[in-house]
Amino acid sequence: MPTSRTTPRRVLMGVVGAAAALALTACGGVKTTSSGGGEGKYPTGNIEFSVGASAGGSTDLITRALAQGMSKELGVSTPVLNKPGANGALNAKELQSAKADGYKIAVQNASLFTITPLTVSPEEATKIDSFDVITGISRDDYVMATNSQSGFTSIGDMKKSGKTIRYGTTGVGTGAQLASALTFKSAGIDATAVPFDGGAPALTALLGNQVDVSTMQIGEAIENIKAGKLVPLAVFSDKRIDYLPDVKTAKEQGFDVLVTQYRFLTAPKGTPEDVKARLLDAAKKTFATDEYKKFNEQNSLTPMEVSPQEVLTALQQDTAKYKKQLDEFGISLAG
Amino acid sequence: MDISPILDGFGIVLEPSNLIYCLIGVIVGMLIGVLPGLGPGATIAILLPITYGIGPVSAIIMLAGIFYGAQYGGTITSVLLRLPGEASSVVTVFDGFALARKGKAGTALGIAAIGSFIGGTVSILGLTLLAPIVAGFALDFGPPEYAALGVLGVLLISSIGNGNKLKAIIAAAVGLLIATVGRDTFTGAERFTFGSLNLAEGIDFIPIAMGLFGLSEILYNLEERHNQVHAPAKVGNVWPSRKDLGQAKGAIGRGSLIGFLLGVLPGGGATLSSLAAYAFEKRRAKQPERFGKGAVEGVAAPETANNAAATSSFIPLLTLGIPANATMALIFGALLIQGIQPGPQLVTEHPDVFWGVINSMYIGNILLLIMSIPMVGVFVKILRVRPAILAPITVLITLLGAYTVRNQVYDIFLVIGFGLLGYLMKKLGFEPGPLVLAFVLGPMIENSSRQSLLIFGGDPTGFFTRPISGTVLALVLVVALWPLISKAVRRKPAPVPAGPPADPPVEPPVEEKTP
Repeated sequence: MPTSRTTPRRVLMGVVGAAAALALTACGGVKTTSSGGGEGKYPTGNIEFSVGASAGGSTDLITRALAQGMSKELGVSTPVLNKPGANGALNAKELQSAKADGYKIAVQNASLFTITPLTVSPEEATKIDSFDVITGISRDDYVMATNSQSGFTSIGDMKKSGKTIRYGTTGVGTGAQLASALTFKSAGIDATAVPFDGGAPALTALLGNQVDVSTMQIGEAIENIKAGKLVPLAVFSDKRIDYLPDVKTAKEQGFDVLVTQYRFLTAPKGTPEDVKARLLDAAKKTFATDEYKKFNEQNSLTPMEVSPQEVLTALQQDTAKYKKQLDEFGISLAG
Repeated sequence: MDISPILDGFGIVLEPSNLIYCLIGVIVGMLIGVLPGLGPGATIAILLPITYGIGPVSAIIMLAGIFYGAQYGGTITSVLLRLPGEASSVVTVFDGFALARKGKAGTALGIAAIGSFIGGTVSILGLTLLAPIVAGFALDFGPPEYAALGVLGVLLISSIGNGNKLKAIIAAAVGLLIATVGRDTFTGAERFTFGSLNLAEGIDFIPIAMGLFGLSEILYNLEERHNQVHAPAKVGNVWPSRKDLGQAKGAIGRGSLIGFLLGVLPGGGATLSSLAAYAFEKRRAKQPERFGKGAVEGVAAPETANNAAATSSFIPLLTLGIPANATMALIFGALLIQGIQPGPQLVTEHPDVFWGVINSMYIGNILLLIMSIPMVGVFVKILRVRPAILAPITVLITLLGAYTVRNQVYDIFLVIGFGLLGYLMKKLGFEPGPLVLAFVLGPMIENSSRQSLLIFGGDPTGFFTRPISGTVLALVLVVALWPLISKAVRRKPAPVPAGPPADPPVEPPVEEKTP
């Protein structure tokens, strides 16, 4: 071939170079090679935040906001790695067997410990004992809403209508499913669950009048509520939610349904106390920044920046309570 | 319609800083599109922190640029290396790679770039003028409609291949079977996971596509080269001829329309649109046997459609607050960070964001077209690299790509497994296309049907009584029975004079009423 070989090769090197550069970026901009474990005061290397969900979900966004703030406080890089799979159980399994040195940590969901075990086999259930909790982070509450055309404004209205309610949920083993199932059962409303794969399709089906009500996380529904396209029927927290002050809780309406999702920062079991203290300190300083507070507001998250003990107590109480209520009403979440 | 906010939008976009963010976005998008695996979603997630510091309009302009830029880039690997990075570019591989083998990679990439530009632009025009109207249309699509569309899609799969119909059906059936792996969305039951958490969420598209298309091709070529002297791939023309353009013209026009309409649907419109556009072209072609062997329309139609669909998938986000796919979910997140809630009120509360983003897409598409012209020449040269060097690098990119999706080594083994399967399939004369496409459509059919039956209270007649799903199912019948119908129609006129096969009369697929 008359053409010299250099041109294509140079091109190729360029492509490969770009590929390599991007691949590195993909790993979260790992600049220093060490992943920790060195001598000296913690932290000396990058702290990896793994996320048991795909990029773009609430857990991912919270992790990224927190990681960014803590990176500034700790002076090291905090790459965020998405490891979706099995509702976060895959990531949890990896984390619990990681070295307990504070260089691999993760924001985890309460539902993985309180609700998922009700739907999977016991050996598959993730246990909180395998982790050290560093701090609580925030609550992400659920709202049950209906299309404005349905004419319902409360749980009682649905009962009065006497029809079979078809309700969308965000999937099996989610708080949305649990909260709706408990509400309908305890109110004695005839209802059929239609599980969707996440909040967006549940919202779409509700806006399109394919289902009568859907339970979603507040952040997913709030804009359509403000626009008047959706009418909120109930929230499932203990007290009313600041972001939706006019919406009555299920409890106020006479139904003992308290279901909430919250998130907390975890490390593998046996992480040294000083490391945990340093992480807690950095997290607290991040929580206090205006930037982070704004993030919470925009995502309709309620701060729950509590001690590890309080997180553990809440997890225990919720697990026991959910189990008891499900047994009481004879509900099986696994369809 | 008050057009002043639209014009203001152009003013915003034409600010130099926004133009630069748009340019950065489309360049980054194009580059990551070239890398299979690292999709626009992951890239946007990484760049999210950067957007804190810049204004909302600039941030979204850049992120949107990454998204549609990646659609352009994805074509390059599909055509040159047989690596479809996304479900919506699987169909492009059929004729794109065939063209590349004939030394017409430049034609394929050129046509794809032009088609993408036109498809994108038509779709933006649609977005500008019709967004609120078609948003309502998207909401009319509930589970029953998606189930019907999925069935139509699987039917189209059987018609896109050239080989043995039976083998295509077997491959599609295997694809549907693989799609059932994972934890059931409705009951949480484990299906074919063998107790492995890695399989609990099912198998991702990337390992399957990378293995069946990319790796299997390399394995197959290794064997070929032992048997025959390897001739370096010719790199003929670099730009489509006037004849090619003429051939592709119709396909681009129809692809734009199909892409725009299906892209509006939040549940998997882009894949369906490229599949439908391809099948449609093949059906109305005078010589359908050219498809799969390097037909220009076979590249033009799906590439136009998937770009049009990528653009119109902004409609549900910007007008309803519904993210249509993972990338849209991230753009949603980015808007939240900026203090803007995407939803019905976006256009009135933040017209600058709404129109700024939409209008930036006109500019972004022009930038992409301008960049594509010289890039086509550059990328095509990759084919001149000796296979001994190119093959291992391709394998590396493939495995790396599969790893980046979930950061799991497990997925690398999946690619290798599917690579071996693809190699065996090729040896036995099975096409990977039907398998991969059926795999993508499988969950859509299954989940939507089950949701529909729950909504109908167990009564399946609901599928036929709802206007849209009923119409789609009628279309399914027409497509399925088309060979019979066309035979019947053709028999009516006097016997066609035998002789050199003049153009047989081809009826455009009439959208008939229910038979």
